[in-house]
Amino acid sequence: MPSQSQPTGERRPRGMVIDRAWRELGPGLEPLSGPGGAPLTRTVKLILLPLVVRPALRPELAADFLDAGEAGRLGELIRECGARLEATARWFTLLKRTRRALGVVAGNPQDLYFQRCFEMATEHGAPAAGADAVARAVLEDIADAAGGRTVEALKDHLADTARRSRLDAELAAAWGDRRTAPAQDAVAGVALAAEVLEACGPPAPGKGAPAFTAMVEGGHGSLLGRALWARASGVWGRDDLPAHLGLTVHQVPPRPAVGRSASTATLSAPFDRTLFERLFTVLQSSAHREELPAVPELVRREAGRSCAPLGLYDESLRVAVVLGGRLAVGLDPLGGQDSGAGRAGLTAAHRAVNSRWQREASVLRARRMTVSPGPAPDPDGGVLDALAQDLRTPWAAYMRRLWVRLHGRDVRDAPLDDTASAWAVLDGVARSVMMDHRARVRSALRTLAAAPARASEASSA
Amino acid sequence: MPQAAGIEVTRDADGTVRVGGEPACPAFTRAVLDVAGAVLTWPVLDEPAPPAAEIHDPERAQQWLWAVHGERVAAAVHDRAAGGPDGVRVAYGATALAGGAARLALGHWAARWWPASYADGIPALEPDVLGLELAALTHQCQQLFDTAFDDQPDDCVAELIEEHQAALDPLLQWWRATPGPTGTGRHLDGVLRLLDDAADSAGMDGPALRRLRSALDRRPPAGAPLDLGALFARPRDYALAAGGPPAAGGRVIARGSGNNDWLRYPPGLVDAAEDAVSWTARAVGARRRIEVEVVADAAAPVAGAPLVAEVRVNGGRAHRVPLARRDDLWTGLADLRLDADTDLDADRELERGLPAMPPRIEVGVLLPGFDPGTGAPGDAVHRDAVRALARQRLAAARPSPYDTHDIHDAYDSHSGPFLAEIAAAATEEDF
Repeated sequence: MPSQSQPTGERRPRGMVIDRAWRELGPGLEPLSGPGGAPLTRTVKLILLPLVVRPALRPELAADFLDAGEAGRLGELIRECGARLEATARWFTLLKRTRRALGVVAGNPQDLYFQRCFEMATEHGAPAAGADAVARAVLEDIADAAGGRTVEALKDHLADTARRSRLDAELAAAWGDRRTAPAQDAVAGVALAAEVLEACGPPAPGKGAPAFTAMVEGGHGSLLGRALWARASGVWGRDDLPAHLGLTVHQVPPRPAVGRSASTATLSAPFDRTLFERLFTVLQSSAHREELPAVPELVRREAGRSCAPLGLYDESLRVAVVLGGRLAVGLDPLGGQDSGAGRAGLTAAHRAVNSRWQREASVLRARRMTVSPGPAPDPDGGVLDALAQDLRTPWAAYMRRLWVRLHGRDVRDAPLDDTASAWAVLDGVARSVMMDHRARVRSALRTLAAAPARASEASSA
Repeated sequence: MPQAAGIEVTRDADGTVRVGGEPACPAFTRAVLDVAGAVLTWPVLDEPAPPAAEIHDPERAQQWLWAVHGERVAAAVHDRAAGGPDGVRVAYGATALAGGAARLALGHWAARWWPASYADGIPALEPDVLGLELAALTHQCQQLFDTAFDDQPDDCVAELIEEHQAALDPLLQWWRATPGPTGTGRHLDGVLRLLDDAADSAGMDGPALRRLRSALDRRPPAGAPLDLGALFARPRDYALAAGGPPAAGGRVIARGSGNNDWLRYPPGLVDAAEDAVSWTARAVGARRRIEVEVVADAAAPVAGAPLVAEVRVNGGRAHRVPLARRDDLWTGLADLRLDADTDLDADRELERGLPAMPPRIEVGVLLPGFDPGTGAPGDAVHRDAVRALARQRLAAARPSPYDTHDIHDAYDSHSGPFLAEIAAAATEEDF
């Protein structure tokens, strides 16, 4: 590779050090390399960093820039692993071939197999006689990792009438035992949330913010949940927004039903979902199903959870709903709307997310994927105007997304430890809402461009 | 790529680190790419240069910065992110990844803004051929994307292959008919092998992909020359120039051409020519009517797109006139209502048929719900520059007996023609 500009001091980008060391390993690594010979992004993220470089053991190699000694050490680690990496590449090729032969298409093979291939290379070396059988066994093992935690299993479990009526009675009892709280208790939490959000965002998200811990200890998430049951209002400092921020279509969350079917297209608002629908969304996302409790336990716990404040057990996750709500009411995806967002008071977190929205808007303009940004609906706008409407009320989509993510964590027993991890979730949800929007604009425009000779009357609407 | 010119690295109050300044040019002349931790922007009308980068996550961006902008810029971004001194100019030096990224961004731009026009003689680019080449380029640029978050819509190899796989078999046919050693032959071969590798990496499978794989395994000798026009022809569902306008009757008061603002409707609906929008105002008895005609894009759907014309008289309130598809035109007809509160005098003059001061009529075309508002007054100049760029690229893509495409390194060069451009240039005569 041409060395263009001379090194800046002795420190070099770690990515470049890895790239050079990788290329020096020579042939045999093509299955783990990109078209230009660089290691695949996933090779770096799933094999080289966690299994070869292991920055957890060598913190000096965790930095983005390395000095000459560190760079040398990193190169050495990769060189030492050359034979094992080549064997990893051959196992990967074998697994891909076997997968095709078995007709498996679900999932990204790099995500699914990279780590296993490295383990097999460590254990067996390169594939030898009998490797086909090993590959088959590994594929079956990975496919079975869900261990019966599937929507199908949930359906079977809830098909039993006696079990359903038992669950229904449990729900009725738990729902009857709820305690409510007055709205002002929730208002206090919202004020604290602004403090936490001010500590979020760059440059050092979550540094020195004891307010999050204080909110968890003060049970401010539960207080919001209990206030919602009591038909609270004026919680968010804006009279135009319901206290539940669209988490239910009713004024007060209704008692959850058991349910026995669901479809992604017709999911109700989170608090209005049946037990079945709540678990359906968890079982549908294929990631790490092996970490979930088995289906009967999943159902048993969901019955209690669905009657808990905000439909969540863990207090840190409930507090994240308060944070998310406080953030959501100040979101401004259309730019300069001042739709009360200013009145509610903007924090560092708002500035970070809103500037991200503006960047997204400018990309969408350059990609010719706009929706009319006006503050009022366009009666001729059709499906695109519906998408614009979602941007005018961004808190609804944001809260739905956030709740589903928090619920997923609750089911997996993954609380939020501090402001930084809460911010990572809040920020990630903002990105997902943006990506959802873009995907929906794309699909609306595609439908339009491919429209057959129908619905031309719509133009007169 | 030019070498060692300086590029500025700055940090905004909200923590965003910028490499280079945001180009001040209309949205339709900007090629953009969402990559790990940043958005990259290239002005398509300028000379090739490293992209401006708006970096919202400097840590994630370190994965590609050293390869796109060089390690000095990478180090400067690292320093700025940590709060180092601001506004430093840094020498950049780029690797092959920079060229690939520019080409990928330009391809995405062409998919949205290519100024296809019958009147201007600029043929459309076959979307599936372009889409597959974009998939190949995305795979080639895999270092730009990371796997940590689901927020890089341009990291979409599998989706692109899925959506555009209808072109796989035609591309294979083209590849079989093209001698390997020529520029186009190598170009086709490169794209198809990248697609095969990308599909394999992503674990995709299907009949067309299997045909691709087995074809690539053993290359047959080049077959008989191929009619590219027939290979990529899209059925037209209307006859060109079929008759005149509907008999509106009446006396023509005024006519003129409207504003064809590309920003206000999505691609594929309206011919990109500057004069594609025209209007005629007539007096029919006591009524005043306006008739709007908009030349349709050759690929536009016959129905389903509720385009409207926006009519404004004497700077008054804008009225919408629904457009319907008739042959190669979108047409609409409406009573010309002059707002009582805007200009009564003009109204009266028109009523009396005294066009001492003919009404000033402005007509635009837009898609409701999509329209982000009108562009800047100077956009027409940029639109002309985009047409010139398209013509120049088509000329460079035109088949030549010497097959000059091999003077480009077809994948790394920012400016080498896309396969869709080569196909379009080859069929231009039929167009």
